[in-house]
Amino acid sequence: MFRHEVLISGFGGQGVAVAGRILGRSAVAAGLQATMLPSHGTETRGGYVRSQVVIADDDIDSPLVEKPDIFCALSQAAYTRFAQSAAQGVVLYDPETVATGPAPAARSTAVPARGIALESAGTALAANIVMLGVVLRRLNLFPADYAEQALRELMPRHAESNIRALRAGCAHCPHCAG
Amino acid sequence: MKTYFDTGNAAMVEAAVIAGCGLFSGYPITPATEIAEHMSRRLPPAGGLYIQAEDETAALHICIGGALGGLKAMTATSGPGYVLYADPYGWAISAEVPLVIVNAQRVGPVSGITGAPGQGEFYLSRYPTHGGNFETIVLAPNSVQEAFTMTVEAFALAERFRTPVTVLADQLVTDGYASFAVPENEEELRALGLQVVPRRAHPGPDFYPACADIDIPPVVLGRGTGAACSDWTPTEEGYDTEDTVEQMRHARRLIYKIRAHRELVDRYDAYGLENDPDIVLVSYGSPSRVVLGAVKEARRQGLSAGCIRLQSLWPFQDELFRRKADYLVVELNADGQLAREVERAARYPVHFMGACGELPSTAELVRAIRRLERGEALPQSTDEREIR
Amino acid sequence: MDHLAERYLRPRKIPGTACSGCGLGQVHKKILLAVEQSGIGTDDLVWGTGIGCSGRQTFNTWKGDNFAGTHGRVYAMAVGLRAALPEEKKILLTVGDGDAFGIGLSHLLHCARRNVGMTVIVADNFGYQSTGGQYGYTTPQGFVTDSSPYGTHEPGWLQGGADILDILKSAGATFLARYSSFEGQKAVAGIKKALDNKGFSLVHCIYPCVTHFGAVGLNSRDNGEIVRWFEELFSAKNRSGRGPHLTSGITHDARGTRPEFAAALKARTREIREGRHVPACSNPYLKNSQGGAEGRHVQA
Repeated sequence: MFRHEVLISGFGGQGVAVAGRILGRSAVAAGLQATMLPSHGTETRGGYVRSQVVIADDDIDSPLVEKPDIFCALSQAAYTRFAQSAAQGVVLYDPETVATGPAPAARSTAVPARGIALESAGTALAANIVMLGVVLRRLNLFPADYAEQALRELMPRHAESNIRALRAGCAHCPHCAG
Repeated sequence: MKTYFDTGNAAMVEAAVIAGCGLFSGYPITPATEIAEHMSRRLPPAGGLYIQAEDETAALHICIGGALGGLKAMTATSGPGYVLYADPYGWAISAEVPLVIVNAQRVGPVSGITGAPGQGEFYLSRYPTHGGNFETIVLAPNSVQEAFTMTVEAFALAERFRTPVTVLADQLVTDGYASFAVPENEEELRALGLQVVPRRAHPGPDFYPACADIDIPPVVLGRGTGAACSDWTPTEEGYDTEDTVEQMRHARRLIYKIRAHRELVDRYDAYGLENDPDIVLVSYGSPSRVVLGAVKEARRQGLSAGCIRLQSLWPFQDELFRRKADYLVVELNADGQLAREVERAARYPVHFMGACGELPSTAELVRAIRRLERGEALPQSTDEREIR
Repeated sequence: MDHLAERYLRPRKIPGTACSGCGLGQVHKKILLAVEQSGIGTDDLVWGTGIGCSGRQTFNTWKGDNFAGTHGRVYAMAVGLRAALPEEKKILLTVGDGDAFGIGLSHLLHCARRNVGMTVIVADNFGYQSTGGQYGYTTPQGFVTDSSPYGTHEPGWLQGGADILDILKSAGATFLARYSSFEGQKAVAGIKKALDNKGFSLVHCIYPCVTHFGAVGLNSRDNGEIVRWFEELFSAKNRSGRGPHLTSGITHDARGTRPEFAAALKARTREIREGRHVPACSNPYLKNSQGGAEGRHVQA
């Protein structure tokens, strides 16, 4: 029996909700249970949005992410607000947008997601999907093919570039420190 | 079965399509707008009509009109729209019109915080209109799968009882994503314990009979039955009357058709009650998900706790609170609505833990259970003048 | 009224409970004459009513099917009913001035905007008479009522350059007319055309209330006096200046110029069902799928 909690948070428009949905959807497609709570409107206006994803091999009681195993901090505001909750997990952040400070709140791993996204997908907009690739490898629960399928279904017009971003994220993962 | 990964909103819409919803009318409001959006996309391909109303009062009246014309109808809103339903809700209760009403509760009062979950309409769903002299049927899902099943059930109960049924959800249930199974045929539908009750039309002339029976077809207009339905106290044939004896007969039918068939409505789910735990947590809707996790954690830590989760809210299931225990009611409000009702039903101490717009954490709940087990009061209830 | 009553009215509702001298019966009779002359049978028309004298007095008088809405809401109910009923079934609503032009005006205007197939007869007695005689939205300015003992202080929908029928015309109504209960075949012919319209028709029929409006507003219960005042309203030389200047007859006839709401909705729904329209969404990230819940099958 396992339960993994993933928190993705950043500004509106960074694809926080989409990343959460693709993660949850691919987990379900792989035969697991998943829940995803997207942020509510208040949070959107508060400068950060949130996807709380829980993946388990059995029924999920609470869909709340209280102690994330993985926290993708896509903005400084998100990092400041949630890094402490991931003290027992790992924080993925892009050093281009997030400064962890001298005493990081948790095990923090730099992922140059914007750069990888530009290189692989031709747009920094795919940084969320690069992060998702890293998350998938870190979780190591199911093959990334399921996420590729989810990308094709949910983003049919931009599937190919996003799949390139996903693969680049997966490929980058072994190089992540921490 | 087909399995989807989607929101409670989408699940309710799939349920409505399966239940044979022929008309949806609503008015945009966060966080229920997505139900209307899904309906506008999903209903027409299934042959159903989507009508965006000029306000919530019109929305539910349009649903009533559709139902009177023989269509199964549904609307969805949140608190600020649910109060505007008061007028048509009463009409539909009194004239016995089957309808399904979804309320995705958000934190209030009034507009409150638009997208944050709340549970402020527990009592309003019991008394959604003025005048008294009625019972209501209210179901409360706590997951995406239940958002699906309870919406199908709401359609069936509405038909059988000839009354509006509220599905009292909250923003986390409606906006949250999870996988849910959708039956693809009759057999799979039955496997989920569900049924689809077709719309029938009352042949008359006793459209409002003096009995507590259910499964009486509702009034349908335009079928040449000479039907009459109104907001006035009806005679059995639907004439408006000012006879107080007829008023009593009508009131008793509205009350007892539901009270006499509670077994068809009552639903709950319990965990860890087998060894008579000291502390029983009580909740409904999304808080119950955290409560269940917290009770499991508390038991792992050796605490004596169990929980009851109400799946149907009204009529209230008093008999669930007869066992000796300290009850801890957990709600997404600060005034304690379910807590007040449990206090009425239970003969033992009832404690309350409220939250506004955000679910309590597992740790907070376990702490509360521990305090109660030690016989200590909860911090919230020690000094009520302390606002912060 | 005898042969009309026999054919169309429920015996249990005759006689009605209207005050002696009330003009509503005359409006009711004109409607039934128009119904008869249109060849409409009891099964062809569903009759709805509002709240107030006009609604309550006519509720369930019709031998066919009947419904009554709460105050001002019967128009919204009729929208849903229109959508559910077959096109050939007619919907007729008898309502009062408070119901239509006050509490229900928003719904009424939206019915006109959508051109929902219904015939609304506003039987107007110049205020709230069933609650004892308070002023309404057609009560002439300056008139004394039980809630305006010093004379009404606000403008209504019939004076000061306003005409409620103009507003309804701008909103999209496809047939509008105005009569008084003292007019005969002319009013019946107007109501017939209203019933013939496939879209939204409204006929404004003013009628006298002797008990309240007459007694308090006109300071007379005398029928002769009240009739003279009504005639003055429609007269070119309205010398007394008491009340609005009104014109009787059809004020707007645009039958057949706009699609009827429910027919169009059903045709559109049918086309969507046949796969002739694909949903277009501005945000493919959020709403891409054409299937049911998001995407289709994610798991067999």
